[in-house]
Amino acid sequence: MAAAWGALRGARRGARPPPPALRRGLAEPAGPRSVRQLREAEEAAPVFQYAGKAAKRKDRVFVWGFCYSGALGVPSFVRPDVGWKRPRRIQPTPYRLETEEKISSAACGYGFTLLSSHTTDITKVWGMGLNKDSQLGFQRSIRDRTKGYEYVLEPSPIPLPLEKPQQTRVLQVSCGRAHSLILTDNEGVFTMGNNSYGQCGRKVVEDETYSESHLIHQLKEFDSRVVQVVCGQDHSLFRTKKGAVYACGWGADGQTGLGHYNITSVPTKLRGDIAGVNIIQVSSYGDCCLAVSDEGDVFGWGNSEYLQLASVTETTQVNVPRHLPFKIGKIKEAACGGTGNIVLTEEGNVFVWGYGILGKGPNLIETAMPEMIPPSLFGWSDFNPDIRVAHVRCGLSQFAALTNRGELFVWGKNLRGCLGTGRMEDQYFPWRVTVPGEVVDVACGVDHMVSMVKSFT
Amino acid sequence: VRGPRFRRLKIGAGHRLDAKASGVFVLGIGHGNKLLTDLYNCHLTKVYTVGGLFGKATDDFSDTGKLVEKTTFDHITREKLERILAVIQGTNHKALLMHSNIDMKTQEAYELAVKGLIRPMGKSPPIITAIRCLQFMLPEFQLEIHCLHETQQYLRKIVHEIGLELKSSAVCTQVRRIRDGVFTLDDALLRTQWNLQSIQTAIWDCQLRVRTEIEKTLG
Repeated sequence: MAAAWGALRGARRGARPPPPALRRGLAEPAGPRSVRQLREAEEAAPVFQYAGKAAKRKDRVFVWGFCYSGALGVPSFVRPDVGWKRPRRIQPTPYRLETEEKISSAACGYGFTLLSSHTTDITKVWGMGLNKDSQLGFQRSIRDRTKGYEYVLEPSPIPLPLEKPQQTRVLQVSCGRAHSLILTDNEGVFTMGNNSYGQCGRKVVEDETYSESHLIHQLKEFDSRVVQVVCGQDHSLFRTKKGAVYACGWGADGQTGLGHYNITSVPTKLRGDIAGVNIIQVSSYGDCCLAVSDEGDVFGWGNSEYLQLASVTETTQVNVPRHLPFKIGKIKEAACGGTGNIVLTEEGNVFVWGYGILGKGPNLIETAMPEMIPPSLFGWSDFNPDIRVAHVRCGLSQFAALTNRGELFVWGKNLRGCLGTGRMEDQYFPWRVTVPGEVVDVACGVDHMVSMVKSFT
Repeated sequence: VRGPRFRRLKIGAGHRLDAKASGVFVLGIGHGNKLLTDLYNCHLTKVYTVGGLFGKATDDFSDTGKLVEKTTFDHITREKLERILAVIQGTNHKALLMHSNIDMKTQEAYELAVKGLIRPMGKSPPIITAIRCLQFMLPEFQLEIHCLHETQQYLRKIVHEIGLELKSSAVCTQVRRIRDGVFTLDDALLRTQWNLQSIQTAIWDCQLRVRTEIEKTLG
């Protein structure tokens, strides 16, 4: 074989160059290209398209905080599926959670999370985290069909006993310490979880076992349609379209606002200073509650051990809603935490009061009158005078503020990494959380947070 | 005795400026070189006008480099660009606070943060303190960037990254420094003005400003 090749080569050596069809390699000598050649090559280069003109922005969910309860919804943080992964106790920075549908409302409870979507499909609500009191409904275990899961590590659908499952939409979800509320548009409110204080709106049954319970209670008897549901630690608040507020649950701190300190197991209308007032927003997370009226007034009731209501009374428990006479302008939104409260005024200023890390440096620990947080901490400056805070949210000992540019600022006690800043230290003034997108809404819990984000392009 | 009066002059350069960039370039003459080190330690921001072009990506991020890729850009709007710029500003603001080496838990850090005076007073990676879009006419756009400790190639890289973030590509066509600490374009001398008289008047005009700035920052 080698000899034959050599003979062929020998015949060609010194002969005329082979015809063009048989030539391989470069047709012209290589060398520095002229400007004309470069321009022609540039014009002939293919154009790539990565996004079309009608490309929509994608909706994403980001979670961060304490992982071992399963509340983040990423199973590999608790039970690694691949050998190289390690169980992660804390997720210090935002981590993307893949969801099947666009999530319109999220709520963080004490170790569990609920996500809900606006869809008319059968599955509208997903839950993850602690399920020891069936706060996520009955999650049937695959290994044993008669038992349920105590910890749910992945967003699992919650089956709701709807009359018209393909027409009803879930508007909002809310989570408390061991119970949850789901608000639908025309089938009332569904409650599940612990009912030892009547917080689910049904009669307290002695020695009831709440774990692995199939019971989901439906509440429909209100004066008009319920438009907002809020869970405190062991009580529930319902706001109706007519501007009335109903409450049920534990009342030892007066958080039900019904004039007594007993348990209420049926949602009852609140009176006191909010009787006849059109309330547009209610908020609670611990044992104190705030309500905002359409005229910009704020009313409070419940626990006042941390000076939350000290502007009107010296007592540490207030069981009737009282008007808080603050001269800070018309109030648009209020949020209650465990020990501190925060309000947002129409001008876009943020005021805090209460006890704990309030956001004005390490020296301000407690105050009974609201103190304003300077807008320069939220990015306002002479260069950017249009930045305003659009929403405020509260966790148990953290605060979160969303600006109109879609930036998220957090401050407060950094319990198990729940602030999402990447550091483990407490944050004494508002600090930006780097999220790859424009933050639309955020839900704060005790030791974790969930945010709904729109991608940039 | 006859001959040139000045035989040797010690001239020092301030912050670096690329061959491809243009704008204000500060020089120190003779005893002024000592002021140059003081000005460097003040860590003042510099302002650039950066021009960019969508649709192309090159290897050295400028329009004279070797073409890497061509992309479409008709989906880009001014609103999307402003959103990306807001995010860049936000993350750089965070980097500003983190590299300033102040303990975030003190009341002093809180007060400085409120006034907006927190700045890294030592070595740090390039930080953009403010960025905004001056002109937007597809495929060209112009940005105004206020930055610290940067190089012009870093600004070109930022333009390239803005293009990537908008799902397209961009190259930088022009980098022009319009302000370097206390020196603005109005104080700068053109090539035709490089004679003794103009240099003397320029030094005389800036002397007071430089001295007040150094006293204010370095105490």
